[in-house]
Amino acid sequence: MSAYRVVGHPLPQIDARERALGAAQFVSDLKLPRMLFGRVLRSPHPHARILRIDTSKAKALVGVKAVVTAEDTPKIPFGPRTEDWTILAGDKVRFVGDEVAAVAAVDEETAEEALELIQVEYEELPAVFDPLEAMRPEAPLIHDKPKNIVSEFHLTRGDVEEAFKESDFVHSASYFTSQVYQAYLEPMACVTDIDPTGKLTFYLATQIPSMTRLTYAKALNLPLEKIRVVVPYYGGAFGAKMETNLHLIAAILSQKTGRPVRMVNPRQEDFMAGNPRVPMYIDLRIGVKKDGTLMGKEVHVIGAAGGRAVYSMVIVATACYRVDSLYRFQNLKTKGLTVYTNTVPTSCFRGFGNAQMTFALESSMDMIAEAIGMDPAELRIRNGVRTGDVSIHGWKIGSSGLAECIDKATEASHWKEKRAEKRFPRGIGLACCNHVSGNRAFAREFDGGAGLVRIGREGKVLVYHGESDMGQGQKTVFAQIVAEELGVPLDWVEVAWVDTEVSPFGMGSFATRGTVFGGNGVKAAAAEARRQILELAAEMLEANPVDLEIKEGMIFVKGAPEKSLPFKRAAEEGLYRRGGAPIVGTGFWVPDTVLPDPVTKYGNISPAYPFACHIAEVEVDTETGQVNLLNYVAAHDVGRAINPQTTEGQIHGGVAQGIGWALMENMITEKGRILNPNFRDYVVPGPLDLPPIKSILVEPIDPNGPFGAKGIGEPALNPVPAAVANAIYHAIGVRITELPITPEKILKALKARKR
Amino acid sequence: MKHPLVLLVNEERYELEIRPNRTLLEVIREDLGLTGTKEGCGTGECGACTVLLDGEPINACLTLALQAHGRKVTTIEGLAKGGQLHPLQEAFIRYGAIQCGFCTPGMILTAKALLDKKPKPEEVEIREALVGNLCRCTGYQKIVEAIMSLVRAGGKPGP
Repeated sequence: MSAYRVVGHPLPQIDARERALGAAQFVSDLKLPRMLFGRVLRSPHPHARILRIDTSKAKALVGVKAVVTAEDTPKIPFGPRTEDWTILAGDKVRFVGDEVAAVAAVDEETAEEALELIQVEYEELPAVFDPLEAMRPEAPLIHDKPKNIVSEFHLTRGDVEEAFKESDFVHSASYFTSQVYQAYLEPMACVTDIDPTGKLTFYLATQIPSMTRLTYAKALNLPLEKIRVVVPYYGGAFGAKMETNLHLIAAILSQKTGRPVRMVNPRQEDFMAGNPRVPMYIDLRIGVKKDGTLMGKEVHVIGAAGGRAVYSMVIVATACYRVDSLYRFQNLKTKGLTVYTNTVPTSCFRGFGNAQMTFALESSMDMIAEAIGMDPAELRIRNGVRTGDVSIHGWKIGSSGLAECIDKATEASHWKEKRAEKRFPRGIGLACCNHVSGNRAFAREFDGGAGLVRIGREGKVLVYHGESDMGQGQKTVFAQIVAEELGVPLDWVEVAWVDTEVSPFGMGSFATRGTVFGGNGVKAAAAEARRQILELAAEMLEANPVDLEIKEGMIFVKGAPEKSLPFKRAAEEGLYRRGGAPIVGTGFWVPDTVLPDPVTKYGNISPAYPFACHIAEVEVDTETGQVNLLNYVAAHDVGRAINPQTTEGQIHGGVAQGIGWALMENMITEKGRILNPNFRDYVVPGPLDLPPIKSILVEPIDPNGPFGAKGIGEPALNPVPAAVANAIYHAIGVRITELPITPEKILKALKARKR
Repeated sequence: MKHPLVLLVNEERYELEIRPNRTLLEVIREDLGLTGTKEGCGTGECGACTVLLDGEPINACLTLALQAHGRKVTTIEGLAKGGQLHPLQEAFIRYGAIQCGFCTPGMILTAKALLDKKPKPEEVEIREALVGNLCRCTGYQKIVEAIMSLVRAGGKPGP
């Protein structure tokens, strides 16, 4: 049972009712007066020069209000990290789906018809689709960068060669992680509006409202105050919904027409021009002593950025070094390359590179355990980082529940018994992961979280934050934290839409940072609002503010409960006394993190580090190669679960997505064209594809998290592919190192083993 | 050429004139303003646009509006009566079966059609019934638990 009134209790999301009623207005539901409908004309070629665009016929179509090309845009190179974006393609297109022109019309049908009337003349160019090929001397250059390399990551600590010499065993393996699609149910969408002064309002599905605003101001060559970003309900994101040209194209169309414009990606285009997971080639060598001590690790990663860089280079960097704080590595050598290809630009997907590397590392750990004759669980506990450790990269591990996760997961899954009694073709496999709760290396400008808590005349508490709830329950967690801090019932607390006009500058929802950063921010704001209302109440009760307490919406003197005042009464009276001013508490939280040195990458990047251990149990049909998942156990160190129900929901969803990645999902391409851009051919897990998922919450209470909480979003997915691959190996003795693990690969491996 | 169309949506009668190529989804969302019915793919693969046509769950994105002429359509907005949520809505809220909520209307309507026909399905029958409704947030576990809670409690929101 929770030690708190509101925090720590399993509660439904505070806005679940609106969603259950169908009353929640999502971005793609918004309709403004005189709103137009926008559509994008996309490149049919992976790499081509644009020779001529003729929009005259499209412009002449009745109902068409604007047709735009690169000529109508500021043509300023921009991008979240690099400057290789333009709003619409200028001289050439770089992937099938690249934005070439756009239309705004009175209805969607007219907009679609107009697209067909735009004539584009292309000169096709040689194209390259694989990052290994893209680095060859004869490869065509996509952005005039030598060898098409976007960026390199190098890191050395200690002496790996020496460490390998001292090792009893050096394990080498090569892996490939596939390109998968986030498959949020609401496609990317926005509504833009413009006022007579040229100020643009973006209603966006975005995880990073404040940062999006910065990027878009640059792209549109507008001062920051001319851009307002509002985030209504939106239907999932899982990393994908950051900056996207779709929003900027809508803005250009609004500027052209002076009218609101709604743009929603048709699902096929969302596959073609979303930002799927960065596919990676990973070579991994690990040296180990007979007793299981990890001596050194050498890794080489090559990731495909696609036709322009979004966040791929930071994702490759994360793949290169985040796992180094899972185990007590002493010697490291790392090289990571991010390479342009004529494919859809890749970017963030739950796990952010750490998921890719966790598949590689945790598969290798399984093989190492077998090679030295050690239980895979024991090998992990032996090397795992512990509370109080400072990892090889200077990460301060304020709490680690890794060993407890392993203990609880192995116990719940009957690991020991099932490992011992081998029942071909059944098997059980284990994988662990670490993660961050916020990443200073990603959020470079500053680190922190902020909130604003407004107590109105009626005593209602309205919370403003600058993060982004994509459905995970962030608003509910913030409301719980504020209700706890203020001592009011949860249903007095509402959480406002993020609106850059009023909300704090939040970095946003990525890097599993929402609960810790946004949570600490609104907690600080609530503490300030509490201080203000107690000051007013103290006057009314003729008491000292420090002697007052708030419980269940009543303010009273400690030890003298008869001297009391309703919270709502204090809010009202306080407002009268202050000329109508509501109580507004703002607060912020700045963690003790450091921007890592650009060369050494040394420094504590996150205030809190979550850990997990997953165990999968499978049965493999050796005739068909089909993998049947029997059971799944996911134990997570979440610091403290502010809301065990939503935390568990995150775990279920993360495991489901991980299973999709491990076994089912794959973007199949041919010459840069995605062959399965729909849910019939790109199969995500359905209700019959998933095993019972048992989630276990491990709560070591982190010193930095709000009420001790850490993040959960990404670690819920990270260990899944390795846990499944390890279970398959245990079941039938074949090791698959390329995702997805398809029946074809299993049958091929079984056949190869027989020979 | 526009065609007359009569729809009985959530027990309310609508008389419209529409072009014959328009889908039921478009008419529900744009003409009637009932945006609880979502569009997730437009090709009948995700189930977000599920509505009940004479009690049967269908993909409104694949149904021409004229096919529903004179027939009864139930959308998510039609489930709550007099401010009282439908037991399925209650259960979805209570069990944490809703995350982003974009699939929720379709999920609830598909579940309603199942329970109307078969009030005591097995868990696997629930999962089979939901196979055309994708959810990317929840892994379905809490959705199935929510529906099972009604089955156990005889159609009322269970504990």
